[in-house]
Amino acid sequence: MERLWPVELPPRTKYLRTIWAEMARTHSHLLWLGLLADAFGFESMFLQFWRIRERVLDLIEMTCGHRVIPSVNVVGGVRRDISTEQKKVLVDALPVIRKESENLIKVVTNDYTVKSRTVGVGVVTKEQAIALGCVGPVLRASGVREDARLTKYHAYGDLNFEPIVQPAGDCYSRALVRARELLQSIDLQLEALDKLPEGEIAVKTKGNPPANEAVMRTEAPRGELFYYAKGNGTRNLERMKIRTPTYANLPSLLVMLPGCQLADVPVIVLSIDPCICCMER
Amino acid sequence: MLPTILKNLFTGYATRLYPVQVREPFDKARGHVVFHDDKCIMCGACALRCPSVAITVEKKQNKLTFYPLRCIVCEVCVHVCPSDAIELIYKWRPSYYEKPEEVHKSTRVDLLRESVEEVKKEETEKSG
Repeated sequence: MERLWPVELPPRTKYLRTIWAEMARTHSHLLWLGLLADAFGFESMFLQFWRIRERVLDLIEMTCGHRVIPSVNVVGGVRRDISTEQKKVLVDALPVIRKESENLIKVVTNDYTVKSRTVGVGVVTKEQAIALGCVGPVLRASGVREDARLTKYHAYGDLNFEPIVQPAGDCYSRALVRARELLQSIDLQLEALDKLPEGEIAVKTKGNPPANEAVMRTEAPRGELFYYAKGNGTRNLERMKIRTPTYANLPSLLVMLPGCQLADVPVIVLSIDPCICCMER
Repeated sequence: MLPTILKNLFTGYATRLYPVQVREPFDKARGHVVFHDDKCIMCGACALRCPSVAITVEKKQNKLTFYPLRCIVCEVCVHVCPSDAIELIYKWRPSYYEKPEEVHKSTRVDLLRESVEEVKKEETEKSG
């Protein structure tokens, strides 16, 4: 929305928003890995992942006010700041979380039952993925190096970031992509906390939104999120369109589902990370 | 998996024994919203800005109705109120048995209106 005026964000705001976005990605991928285990009936791994997720949710609550929905963005900046004590707590807690999730991810990648249920199931080839318009981890697991974070919005230009790509297009590679993205996002958070610059956290915007259009692509945990806003000079916006990533990933089910066994259906539908309430927008 | 299993068998619980042990909410956590009657000036800004229509203000009758179950604790009313009459409490609110509705009457506006009436009476007495 800041591109409507357009208004330049202060650097601290960009870093803070990046940190919160990566925290959201961490807890979302931990949730997904737990649900993947639940889809086979592997309930102990499910609850082990969610136990780690509780710690991440505590960190989000400490900095934003509530567990899942941060509600911290305003037009022109952010509403809350990360103080030095909170930063110390974050810097101490994140490596512990990383070590514990690394131990569990070894189970996902090496266990015989997990592999026999996911390898070769729900294959999407590279050409099919591009033709159907998949986004996010589904696209990256089919061998396409495409990530909205490569456009270097917010603070991603300064951070050491490289998207994770896997060549095979089955459920196992999607699980690998998400698991490695989880570890990468914890590393990105630690790096951003290290490089956090001082300064103000919000910029005042004057007046009503001008008659201008703005488009923004960000990388949500499930894929690429697309925002389009159009103002017309009065207090209300003329058009606002949000295209959520689950909506773009749905057509890939057309290719994945035919010919599979009935017991593979929950694993395949879960592997695109569906969020039905966002999809129905 | 085996090291994790062995570690979990022999270390303590991962969960807290609620309600015996309660974790204190964090500082500035979003709990619920409380209205202060002695500071409200009935401007209606909170009702205008509330995204979930949880506040209705009737200025003539000096009445503010707040529906706690519609509130999403977004804190917009807290930031927008010009007289700091809305406060965010960081403890989570308890659950209800029936749908609640809070009705508030601003004591500050009452006092103002009384003093305005007294001034009007004095002026009519003086001129009449």
